[in-house]
Amino acid sequence: MNVDLHGSIGVAGVGQSGPSAADPRSIPEMVLDAVERALGDAVVRWVDIDAVVTASVDLFDGLTASNVAVTEVIGAVMKPETRIAADGLCAAIHAACQLRAGACRTVLVVAHGKASMAPRAAIEAWAVDPIFLQPLGVNFSTIAGLEARLLCDRDPEAVERWGHVVARRRADAAPHGVAAAVAPEDVLAAPVLASPLTQAMEAPPADAAYAVVLRADGDGLPVRWVAAGHDLEAHAPGDRPLSSRPGLRRAFDRACRSAALAPDAPFGLLEPSCRYPHEEDLLRQVLGAACKSAAISPGGGLYAGDAPCAAGLGRLVDAARRLRDEPRLGRALVHGAWGPAGQGQAVAILEAAP
Amino acid sequence: MRRVAIIGTGQTRHARCRDDASQPELVREAAAAALADAELRPADIDAVLLSNMELFEGRAFPELWAGEGAFACGKPCMKVATGGTSGTSACIAAFHQVASGLFDTALVVGFEKHSEGHTQTGMALTDPFWDRAVASGALGNFALSISEYMTERGVTERQAALVAVKARTNAARNPHAHLKSPEVTVEEVLASRMLAHPVRLFDMCPQSDGACAMVVASEECARRACSRPAWVKATATRHEQPYLGDIDRRLCAMRTLRDASRAVYAAAGIIDPLAELDVAEIYEPVTYAELAWYEALGFCEDGGAGRLIEDGVTSMDGALPVNPSGGVLSTNPVGASGVIRVAEAALQIHGRGGARQVDGARLALATGYGVYAWADAVVLGAEP
Amino acid sequence: MSERIAVKHTMDLAWRYASGEAMERFCADLSDRRIEALRCGGCGRRYLPPRPFCGNCRLRMTERVPVRDVGTLVAWTVVHTPILDGRTGEPRPAPYGMGLIRLDGADTTLNHYLAEADPARLRVGSRVRAVWRPALRGAMDDILHFEVLS
Repeated sequence: MNVDLHGSIGVAGVGQSGPSAADPRSIPEMVLDAVERALGDAVVRWVDIDAVVTASVDLFDGLTASNVAVTEVIGAVMKPETRIAADGLCAAIHAACQLRAGACRTVLVVAHGKASMAPRAAIEAWAVDPIFLQPLGVNFSTIAGLEARLLCDRDPEAVERWGHVVARRRADAAPHGVAAAVAPEDVLAAPVLASPLTQAMEAPPADAAYAVVLRADGDGLPVRWVAAGHDLEAHAPGDRPLSSRPGLRRAFDRACRSAALAPDAPFGLLEPSCRYPHEEDLLRQVLGAACKSAAISPGGGLYAGDAPCAAGLGRLVDAARRLRDEPRLGRALVHGAWGPAGQGQAVAILEAAP
Repeated sequence: MRRVAIIGTGQTRHARCRDDASQPELVREAAAAALADAELRPADIDAVLLSNMELFEGRAFPELWAGEGAFACGKPCMKVATGGTSGTSACIAAFHQVASGLFDTALVVGFEKHSEGHTQTGMALTDPFWDRAVASGALGNFALSISEYMTERGVTERQAALVAVKARTNAARNPHAHLKSPEVTVEEVLASRMLAHPVRLFDMCPQSDGACAMVVASEECARRACSRPAWVKATATRHEQPYLGDIDRRLCAMRTLRDASRAVYAAAGIIDPLAELDVAEIYEPVTYAELAWYEALGFCEDGGAGRLIEDGVTSMDGALPVNPSGGVLSTNPVGASGVIRVAEAALQIHGRGGARQVDGARLALATGYGVYAWADAVVLGAEP
Repeated sequence: MSERIAVKHTMDLAWRYASGEAMERFCADLSDRRIEALRCGGCGRRYLPPRPFCGNCRLRMTERVPVRDVGTLVAWTVVHTPILDGRTGEPRPAPYGMGLIRLDGADTTLNHYLAEADPARLRVGSRVRAVWRPALRGAMDDILHFEVLS
């Protein structure tokens, strides 16, 4: 297919299923629910979908080539499907590339994750270097603890601030999320996860599926996909600074460059994938003035439920809905991450139609 | 779609066990070879696509550890994983990412290190309710489909053995190949150990350690950096229903590969693939599949594949050499196997095939095969 | 050359799989020696395993149709190199027969073991019948294997 691409990419529709702490439904049932909602929201039919991009990881699903579980319910039988084994926002970024390439006109992006199927920390242990790190018992939360320690050593008030940030996020998330609200002092008093991080500071694992329809001729749509960038940082914690996120900066700079956007152009909304509160500090470091007046995760972000591999696409769903409801917010930054200490970073920039 | 081209390829030595190299080192070996072939430095690469089936090594997000081998640190990097089509789909993903205008160059690296995991366990995680208790594995599921195919199309064990002889003979001219046996005979293939009736040891692909890489470039960059780019003329992907039993007459029908190939032929202006293609690198995990793919790809009428192999039409000196590399039958690091198909097709267009070069190759087909019947098809040409 | 170092890891992961509504009913039916397929309202195809959605027509399915435990062998093999049993991690004793069986009343086929392991006695088109475990448990291996009817 050859599509003329002078127009912009639009977010035509979004749908979700969950988050819930333990969804009794199967993966295809959850995904079908999210996809039907997204198609309905976009007012498109199955035949209008030219291609599908999915995100999932075999070890989380306990399935070989785990997108086999969803091939039918995403409508990919006899169609092109690309499965990205990373955070769901990467699937959306690849879909946007397909649209910009003129390879298709309408793409369905789908990500799912069921944290209730297997212990997250056990699986994440299989994501670290098996020669040097895995034998030490290093997992994602221990490396997050190292990062947080470096930050609070410089900023003695950080931990208390994180208590308030988490309490705020959890309160915002409580009405639709998987975990109850917690008072700031209780966040700080919770059992230690990886000092200085407490267990209450970690976004709760959840089951969820998200679906997004992206369209090449998005000029008439209320939310536009303006730019995106992604990055892979060095793996070993000793090979990179842990008190800043250069990978996130590179991803963000790439996004801005690709759309000729000034890096200090203000955002009205941030939807970050922050599993721990110190990660919001790291994000602010990168965005600087651009995030001064931004609303951050009005729905509680990942604190509503952090579904493995799906979280970043969930941020896109939330951001697109919010921009549609409150176009005055103008521009939104959507963020996804995967790997230890945010080794993999992805950002997308959305704008409400003027 | 904007024009893109493959301007360099590289692969490792493939072997049953490459314990001289870690996974990142194996990736590095292929990535460095592809960059050298393209005469580029790591800093010239804008984005990286990896291909690997993580369960075979028991890794989650293997790119986190192995990505450094692909010079991916500080670069945009994603991993594609769709079973056997992972490699071809990663190549197609790279074509799309470069064609998007976001990147001038992308490096694709597919790798698998079967010796560091347990491949059978990695393949055993099928539907836990329906077929985990009665799993047949890659070997058994092919053997089942072959009985249907032989019954319907009259293909013989001897014709399948000819495919094995062609593959292993061709592999002997490929310095990277895992299994090479220039002297193997049809009789030896037919005398080899029975694995699952009628599939014998020599009919089946091996498990290899290895990696393969390629550099994909935008039109402007390709024209500047490469004297003979392999232009991407068309690509297609088709996925299929999830259960083996969903697919009627699997090898006979193979509607995914049929449809994908018709789509790329139409987009590339190919009417008679046997006459117009100069070379094909197809993903044939078992000898009988190669015969079935001849029919699905339109190289012959349905039922004509046995004659095609007997007449030598697809041998190195035939009208359409198929798998000069020795194919998946000779080399199979799963996450790399699809990348190898596309890289070998590109190598032929580049004219750098050495002893396995098809003289004057200007139009090449590469295909991928995964899960029970997923298919990718790619047409490359010397002209855009 | 110095000795190469290999780090050994043993993977021990357990997953909890949700069956889905259609599969849950299918498994419950097995313990009553009953099999039902879901029929697509678009193409009419009768699906086993039952699932929520026809991937060809992109339609949800709800119509249940009865399926017999006898059928036709549409493909067969005799396995000499067994793969691991996904439940136990142990290989099944070889050689053993496997078949794709189209049960009467279904349009898709079932991948299952055959009681017969002699290639000379297996052919595409043979009629076969399920041999059930005496004490049923509501799982696919309630059917031990299929026997070939003469």
